[in-house]
Amino acid sequence: MTDLDAHLPSIVSGDPRAFAAWLAGAEGAVRASLRSFARVVDTEAVLQEALLRTWQVAPRVQPDGRPNALLRMALRIARNAAIDEVRRARQDPTAIEALEAALHREEGPAQPIPVDPMLRERIEACRSALPRQPGRALAARLEARGGIDDRALAEALQMQLNTFLKNVGRARRLLAECLSSAGVILGGS
Amino acid sequence: MSDDRESLIEVVISAFRPRDPRGRLSSHPGWHDLSPDDRELVFDETELQRRLEAAMDPDGLSSTAQAVLDRITGGDR
Repeated sequence: MTDLDAHLPSIVSGDPRAFAAWLAGAEGAVRASLRSFARVVDTEAVLQEALLRTWQVAPRVQPDGRPNALLRMALRIARNAAIDEVRRARQDPTAIEALEAALHREEGPAQPIPVDPMLRERIEACRSALPRQPGRALAARLEARGGIDDRALAEALQMQLNTFLKNVGRARRLLAECLSSAGVILGGS
Repeated sequence: MSDDRESLIEVVISAFRPRDPRGRLSSHPGWHDLSPDDRELVFDETELQRRLEAAMDPDGLSSTAQAVLDRITGGDR
């Protein structure tokens, strides 16, 4: 099993590059841990706040001899943030109890999700085959790094918002079809 | 799938999230307009999309990870 705590000393010393390397291995596992909350909270917002909080509390992590101490802490932070969000939204308390029970049933060893290096080449080949407008829309999304809303991205490309969103969706579908025909199945975790 | 529903799903798949007055990220406004089933669909599609993004990025980072890092380094927009 990959132990992402190899990055922990550099993260504790405040190196964002080390945290980037940790994020590359940890994000999938933390996101997957929020699946039970998908119907009741916006898990993307919860996940980003939890990952930021993980960076802030990393210096307090005490290694316990088991791998992935920081990842296990991130999972706890994300779960607690999601529960707080459910409470803030004044969801039914019995729904919260049901969610917590489901989470305990799902809890297993914290495992980073590895990235297949061969996948990049295949995706790039499929991406280069995209029609122009879907390709432009997808590129704008990627270059925005999650920091610019779609309305501003659409304006920059001189597209209507709806047209921009249709192009992004089309790009995603065409990529998935292209990868599928190349034998790449990107299933859930 | 209707055009409106398709657009709503697509906009929520983005990693962009607005900030509240305290600087914390808020839920995407469009997320509240999704049905519970569509919220699960968005979760699945987002998971897939982030895996693609990470695979395309030289550092293996999705747009979610990039957004978090940009906040840490003050590089957010």
